[in-house]
Amino acid sequence: MTSEAAAGVRPKARAEGSTLRRRFLSFLLDWMIWGYIAYGVMYLLNAYWWTVPLERYYSTLTLPSWGWPLAVLGTLEMAVWSRNLGRSLGLKAFGYEVWGADGKPPTVGQRVKRALLWHLSVLPLGAGFWSSPERPWHDRLAGTELHVLPSSPAPKRRKALFSQWGIMSLLLIALTIWLGWLIIKIDPRVLIRRWDEGSRIWLEMLHPDFRYFARPDPAFELRNLSFSILDMAVVTLFMALLSTILGAALAFPLSFLGARNVMGFNPAGWLVYFVMRGLFNIFRSIDTMLWAVIFAVWVLWGSPLAGVLALTVHTIAALGKLYSEQVEGIDPGPVEAVAAAGGSRIEVIRYAVIPQVAPSFWAFTLYRWDINVRMSTVIALVGGGGIGDLLFYYKNQGDWPKVGAVVIVIVAIVWAMDYISGRLRERIV
Amino acid sequence: MAEPYLVVEHLTKVYERGQVLALKDVSFTVEKGEFLVVIGLSGSGKSTLLRCINRLVEPTSGRIFLGGVEITRLSAREMRKMRRKIGMIFQQFNLIKRATVMTNVLTGRLGYNPTWRTLLGLFPKEDRELALKNLERVGLSDKAYVRADELSGGQQQRVGIARALMQEPELLLADEPVSALDPATSHSVMQYLEQMNREDGVTVLASLHFLSLARRYGTRIIALKEGRLVFDGPPEAIDDAKFKEIYGEEAEQVEVR
Ligand SMILES: Nc1ncnc2c1ncn2[C@@H]1O[C@H](COP(=O)(O)OP(=O)(O)O)[C@@H](O)[C@H]1O
Ligand SMILES: [Mg+2]
Repeated sequence: MTSEAAAGVRPKARAEGSTLRRRFLSFLLDWMIWGYIAYGVMYLLNAYWWTVPLERYYSTLTLPSWGWPLAVLGTLEMAVWSRNLGRSLGLKAFGYEVWGADGKPPTVGQRVKRALLWHLSVLPLGAGFWSSPERPWHDRLAGTELHVLPSSPAPKRRKALFSQWGIMSLLLIALTIWLGWLIIKIDPRVLIRRWDEGSRIWLEMLHPDFRYFARPDPAFELRNLSFSILDMAVVTLFMALLSTILGAALAFPLSFLGARNVMGFNPAGWLVYFVMRGLFNIFRSIDTMLWAVIFAVWVLWGSPLAGVLALTVHTIAALGKLYSEQVEGIDPGPVEAVAAAGGSRIEVIRYAVIPQVAPSFWAFTLYRWDINVRMSTVIALVGGGGIGDLLFYYKNQGDWPKVGAVVIVIVAIVWAMDYISGRLRERIV
Repeated sequence: MAEPYLVVEHLTKVYERGQVLALKDVSFTVEKGEFLVVIGLSGSGKSTLLRCINRLVEPTSGRIFLGGVEITRLSAREMRKMRRKIGMIFQQFNLIKRATVMTNVLTGRLGYNPTWRTLLGLFPKEDRELALKNLERVGLSDKAYVRADELSGGQQQRVGIARALMQEPELLLADEPVSALDPATSHSVMQYLEQMNREDGVTVLASLHFLSLARRYGTRIIALKEGRLVFDGPPEAIDDAKFKEIYGEEAEQVEVR
């Protein structure tokens, strides 16, 4: 390697004790990668060699009883050696690199020594880390260090394709495509074989039936009432508008409670902050569709209220998180100035925080509006009400010309709302 | 003899994050009407010292008295009231960039108005008139309804001064008010501070980077080095030896004309 000359200027940021968690996660990543490779290899061996029926295999993962410990230990060893003999993906992902204590790249001898010593230092309950977490036994005895590299301008490096992590990334992508192809059973011939089915639906949809655009369709009944496409389109639009307005209005005040710099650094502030952020994250990670399922059971299957509630809850959580992050990113200068003039906390928010975050708040709200418009057109699938009720009803009837009409209306709604929010966005940025 | 106007006793500040000892046992007094300049290298604790006086930064230990009131014992509410009398201007001006100059200047009256009014932006007519008067005083009456970020650095700092004037302060804290400005603009800004000090009788505590500015405007100088007070006296008393002690052996005196 020719980068010895650059070694002198390499920033000597040694891994800190507090980064023990990072180090562990980095190792875990490598181990998981090797686990995935082992799984892939077993799968491919089964598919091409032993020819176990594949439908069974990917869910059962059959191994003999002695196979499991072997797989666990085998992947562990691979992880250890790959981390020491080059720069593994796990090291790269966390910005780590093994270096000699003398500021030079480690020799092969040092690398092997470090890998061997690792077993003595880490396997006995991480004993090597007890005395000095920043420099465990295996590093000290091998004369190496684990450096955290600054993410900014990197000194001269090898090309990605000539490094272990680069080759590994390519391998993982290729493996994933191969496995995916087998697991999903991708077969392009089906598209040709079933051409007649497909073309019939396309043709019928391209002759849309707009007879019931403004007149209620007697064939479609929802709680003993008939509706026209226009009726359902209006309902859908208001679902999207109402959930965005309500969601944004509730997320707005809550987002300040979820911002560290507004809540201050006292214990009570921390508590509120953590509770708020926790709630945002939990509610956000439950998808709108799942919320709709819950509210459809709670309120009434197929009622737009269920859809609005679902969209609103998810909007509050999603916008709340985005808003609070914006609040945390503000310039603290004006906050200081308003406080210094005798402003209370709420005056600080009004005069120093809101003016700074207003443009991004608007942008996020419009972005959420786009999402809500799209969601409201299909949320009926899980009982959330709206124009989707018509869509799925006609689809189940096999009435493709009417499906075509509804799809066209949905496209028109989405397009029109996109256009409006796009224009509004231009005005605020 | 009466108590001095501002008394700082054994002031110590340790920042929790990073365990930085920013101020160590700093004591001094300031008489009413003084123009006290704080000098020191960057990182010596000047900003921390000024912010302890209006408790934007909470002191770790020590006491501060202002006009006989122990600031360090006031509740948050009482402190907010006290801050009305303490104006502050900043190195980075700290204006609300997307708001008008007028709004920025009016924030100087936040402490004097009930919250329901300020939240709605309903400042009384007298406050608006006072704002125009103060903008005229700093030579910006034609900029009242311009967005703050459209102004030059010197103009922004003058808005900062107008904002402080709105508080009708007894004490003005100025944290490196001219460090972000060029020399000519620096002097014009410093002259406004001098004017406040001489004509309105405002006691001024200003931290400055350049000794030449400190000598020109200060009636007294204190110097900090690594959080310790290493000098307290008249500007003339800083000779070459003292200068080297404050700024380090390699330092050269730089003039700002
Ligand atoms: N919020 C803070 N948290 C931790 N350390 C700080 C903070 N603010 C300042 N410091 C540290 O306190 C010391 C004094 O800083 P400061 O008062 O800003 O000095 P000056 O204004 O003279 O440049 C410096 O070492 C600085 O790094
Ligand atoms: Mg400073």
